[in-house]
Amino acid sequence: MIAENAALAFAWSYNDNDQEFSLKGSLRPQKSDELSLCMSELEGSVAKVSGKFYVNVRRLVRMNNVAFHALACKILDLVRERADLSIHVTTSSVVGWATRKFAVLEAVSDKITVSEYDSEFYPGQTFLEEGGFIPILRTQTKLTWHHERTLLADHGLKPDMEVADICCGIGDFAVLLQKEYRPARLVALDHSRSSLDYARKVAGEFGVRGIDYVFGDASEMLLESDQFDFVTCRHSLQVFDRPELILRELFRICKPGGRVYVTNEKNSHCLGEPRAETIQKTYNEVARLWAHFNMDIELGPKSRRYLIEAGFDDIRMESFMVTNRDGNPQDFADIIQSWENVYAGQMAVQRGDSEEEIRALRKGFQDHIFAALHPKGYAGWPVWVASGRKPA
Amino acid sequence: MPAPAEGVSAKSDMPQLLQMDLDIGDFCSDWSHCDLMSGYVARMVSHNRLDSVLFANLYSSALNELLETVFRVHGQTGTLQFSVQRQDNLDRVELVFPADDAIYGVYKDAVAKASHDNAETLYLEALFAETEPGPGLGLLELGVDYGARLSTDRHDDGRMCLIAELSLEGEKE
Ligand SMILES: C[S@@+](CC[C@H](N)C(=O)[O-])C[C@H]1O[C@@H](n2cnc3c(N)ncnc32)[C@H](O)[C@@H]1O
Repeated sequence: MIAENAALAFAWSYNDNDQEFSLKGSLRPQKSDELSLCMSELEGSVAKVSGKFYVNVRRLVRMNNVAFHALACKILDLVRERADLSIHVTTSSVVGWATRKFAVLEAVSDKITVSEYDSEFYPGQTFLEEGGFIPILRTQTKLTWHHERTLLADHGLKPDMEVADICCGIGDFAVLLQKEYRPARLVALDHSRSSLDYARKVAGEFGVRGIDYVFGDASEMLLESDQFDFVTCRHSLQVFDRPELILRELFRICKPGGRVYVTNEKNSHCLGEPRAETIQKTYNEVARLWAHFNMDIELGPKSRRYLIEAGFDDIRMESFMVTNRDGNPQDFADIIQSWENVYAGQMAVQRGDSEEEIRALRKGFQDHIFAALHPKGYAGWPVWVASGRKPA
Repeated sequence: MPAPAEGVSAKSDMPQLLQMDLDIGDFCSDWSHCDLMSGYVARMVSHNRLDSVLFANLYSSALNELLETVFRVHGQTGTLQFSVQRQDNLDRVELVFPADDAIYGVYKDAVAKASHDNAETLYLEALFAETEPGPGLGLLELGVDYGARLSTDRHDDGRMCLIAELSLEGEKE
């Protein structure tokens, strides 16, 4: 259901399966009876269940005290009337006031619990955020920048644009972009606080000003619609189990006529000489390993389809190959080593691979490094770049 | 609408970010003005914060409570003068509006409660009261949840001043 006027643009829905009542949008009514329909549906939903009932306010962005009073009293009444009922409220860490505001409910009844939804955000979060990924990302960006620096212009990026980098990681791409393209505005968003802290520190140390590092959830951003001329999202659609949800948001924040630019990989196409065969074997296995955790490291060539299905037109697409010849071969080798550490050292272990299997997996990485550092060797990592225009 | 005001506020020596004067009757002609104004101002003052989006969301929430309170309780005619100042991480909101002695008393009382040692208990009482919440609930919440420092001041011209000082990024994100 939807209620709509300026201060009151909110919607609610009830999911029977999960016994979950969700509220989203902006709730700033003048009088509490403006919420009566929503409150009676909440009551009606609770009437049908026993045990634990969930109230989801993760997407509730604004709420005044008139609304909070109405909702808080209703929730308290419900658990007081029904001995068999307890209520759990789920808030979001992205909405700064929410957890503290709802926490008072725990103080008045031990049948009400409140928690922030954050964990298990996307399938591989623990590997990527807590694993040794920060050094990988830095070296990766250094090598991909070698190609993207000029490619970005071919995809429509120009100085003085309003730009957003979504899932910015540790923010070094934003720094490079800021220096090279001098955007009028640059917002860099990620859902990892430690990465953002790191990003702010690096920007500070390098004296780079003007990048707005923002904590947020790419699948439901607080950023307003139709704001950016150019939206980038690099190496990230491939870590979500439902990339179309992220694309929908990238589309939304992009100005009509603006462009969304994504890069993704297809790891099974990593290659090297000598020792091509073991290298190939390992990267085929990497693709299966990611799939096991519901992530698609083979997404690269599918970007065109994803962009078209998200409503973009004028799709431009190409690929480039990062190689050991792009600069110092040791940089390339460092990337592969950190892949081995995370993929073989953590993900395969968690999948329950045998020691034998892990040894075989490691072998291909080591051979890839061998090829990269070999005086006559060649080692490559292909990346797919795609961009689309939001119809004007 | 807003005149980008130079210099410092009359009441504090903090640098002024923004000031606007509105007719109180115009402001109170439509409830959505509170929401629109808090959203608009929050965007204006958030661009150079540590996290502009998180900050704007908190700022808008806090400012909206102040505006809604004034919307509900104010004198009949005159000017609403709204200004915001900032020094480092301290944000200050100043609202000057028509108020007779009774209205001034309502605010003095609410601000005293919000600053009281047991403000938290008072907040819970007000929140879970059976009746529609009084005008003090928003101010209580600002004191309790946002750690706002609230104060009031009487003006000679039949107006009063409500001030909130907030440190929105001081707390842990
Ligand atoms: C593989 S990294 C890519 C980082 C960066 N774009 C780069 O190319 O170096 C994926 C990033 O997505 C971020 N991420 C994951 N889920 C997210 C979400 N729901 N919202 C925003 N960022 C998210 C992670 O924190 C991580 O920094």
